[in-house]
Amino acid sequence: MEPWKLEPARDTGLTPSERFRSVRRESGLLESLAHHVCFSMLRSYFAIAHRLTIIGREKLPAHGPFVLAANHCSHLDALALGAALTPRHRERAFPIAAGDVFFQSGVTSTFSAIMLNALPMWRKNCGPHPLADLRRKLQEEKAIFIIFPEGGRSRIGSMMPFKHGLGMLIAETNLPVVPCGLVGTFEALPPDRKLPRPVAIKLVIGAALQFASTANDRTGWSQIAATVESCVRDLVAQSRTA
Amino acid sequence: MNPIARERLFGFRHAFDDRVTVVLALTVLILFLLAPLLIFVVTRAANSSSDKRKELWDRYRSWIWLALFILIPILAGAFWTILGVATLSFLCYREYARITGLFRERTISLIVVIGILFITFAALDNWYRLFVALFPLTVALIATGGLIPDQPKGYIQRVGLGVLGFALFGSALGNLGYMANDWNYRPILLLIIFAVEMNDIFAYICGHLFGHRKFVPNTSPNKTVGGALGAIVLTTPLFALGAHFVWFGTALDTPVCLLGLGVIVSVVGQFGDLMLSSIKRDLGLKDTAKLIPGHGGILDRFDSLILVAPAVFHYVNYFVGFAAGQPQRIFSGWGI
Repeated sequence: MEPWKLEPARDTGLTPSERFRSVRRESGLLESLAHHVCFSMLRSYFAIAHRLTIIGREKLPAHGPFVLAANHCSHLDALALGAALTPRHRERAFPIAAGDVFFQSGVTSTFSAIMLNALPMWRKNCGPHPLADLRRKLQEEKAIFIIFPEGGRSRIGSMMPFKHGLGMLIAETNLPVVPCGLVGTFEALPPDRKLPRPVAIKLVIGAALQFASTANDRTGWSQIAATVESCVRDLVAQSRTA
Repeated sequence: MNPIARERLFGFRHAFDDRVTVVLALTVLILFLLAPLLIFVVTRAANSSSDKRKELWDRYRSWIWLALFILIPILAGAFWTILGVATLSFLCYREYARITGLFRERTISLIVVIGILFITFAALDNWYRLFVALFPLTVALIATGGLIPDQPKGYIQRVGLGVLGFALFGSALGNLGYMANDWNYRPILLLIIFAVEMNDIFAYICGHLFGHRKFVPNTSPNKTVGGALGAIVLTTPLFALGAHFVWFGTALDTPVCLLGLGVIVSVVGQFGDLMLSSIKRDLGLKDTAKLIPGHGGILDRFDSLILVAPAVFHYVNYFVGFAAGQPQRIFSGWGI
């Protein structure tokens, strides 16, 4: 018989507000229920209000760890990608959200953590440590990250160049990156609007990419960013014509 | 609903009918009024560091909240008392599941939560047979639920942890909720909680005053034989005196029985404390959570109560029983 393996929650010893903002957070029974309810409701919302069509869902790996990388021009993007995941995926799916928008106040961080299962990414003075924590979480907890490598919402709807962060998460690993192209979210909810318009949204999921042999350094990260960016650009173009 | 049951469940107008309730509530109030003065004098005299002083004030402030969370439901009615105990059970189980890693076993955790919900219903309903049946039934369900992932590796661990969790926080703590079916539940519960918390404080003070020989240095290095004995000597008469008024004129109201109950509260309370120390030391943790400033987690604060609840329940049940003359199966019986 193997000895017992008792592993306390990784967030043990954090106060509730620290925990909501922490990358070490692990959901319990009630929080998992909240994510499920939230994403089920979002799924219905997108189906009814935006007639969400998903092309290539069969290309999603059966289980984590993997990374969904998409273009970003609206707050609806992360929600649409979350809604596209199967219930089996949702348990471990974490949208990576801007810390300065979603985790600034107690109310927003509680909502982002409990309802969306989001993890904060601090855009200023972030440094390598938070990314190293995220990289560890991705591998050890078989997580699914929803990432927007542009580093923010495009204000005009067209894609911005991808940043290095994605590369820092997955270079020299076997973790699949699934490129996704989203169309319609900018028209539905551009950054200057408060409430969404019922515009049709399309999501095209591409074939998974792997970067096991790409070096975990600046050149490697640029290479990863460029490869994924061109894939996403193709998917966006494809979904506009489809 | 039966008027007697409704009166007990929601009848807050009779909150202060019993003099033991009044005395205990006043004692708590006086302690809270005196404590700031005491903290001020002690920290001045000992020239304590600002960290130590801050910790004492944190503890004091947290105690006020805890006292309100305990007093208000008990005074408001048996319904709120039982819900309060259920909340305590859930919070304790949550902390236990998170520190042992059991929370990752969703099926087992869900079964324990459902078990606690049923225990709460049995207590609210005053349905003793269901209450008693729930322990073996939930254990059977946990053993079955452990099969669902179809992974024999780790089966004993997840089922074992689940059973221990339900036994301690569902079943054992549930006894505290079931006591609220007694017509005189307010002084009973207040007395038990007051005595258990005082027992902790007595052990701490006596340990500082006469503690030389370590008690169980591997489990809890700060515990001393002097502290443990001092707590027994002080808590036993305190509890026996209160119990004399609470169970006045019953079969329990003899000096031997009352002192026996007092010793049980003190000794078992300290065992509960050591039990949690062992769990934490086994896991290499200092506190179970960081929820209550100055105290740690809910479990750190209420550890002594967990084992006392079933011990007192069955001791009293042997002599006089709970819920005499109260209508049974209030909700499920359809007026039986």
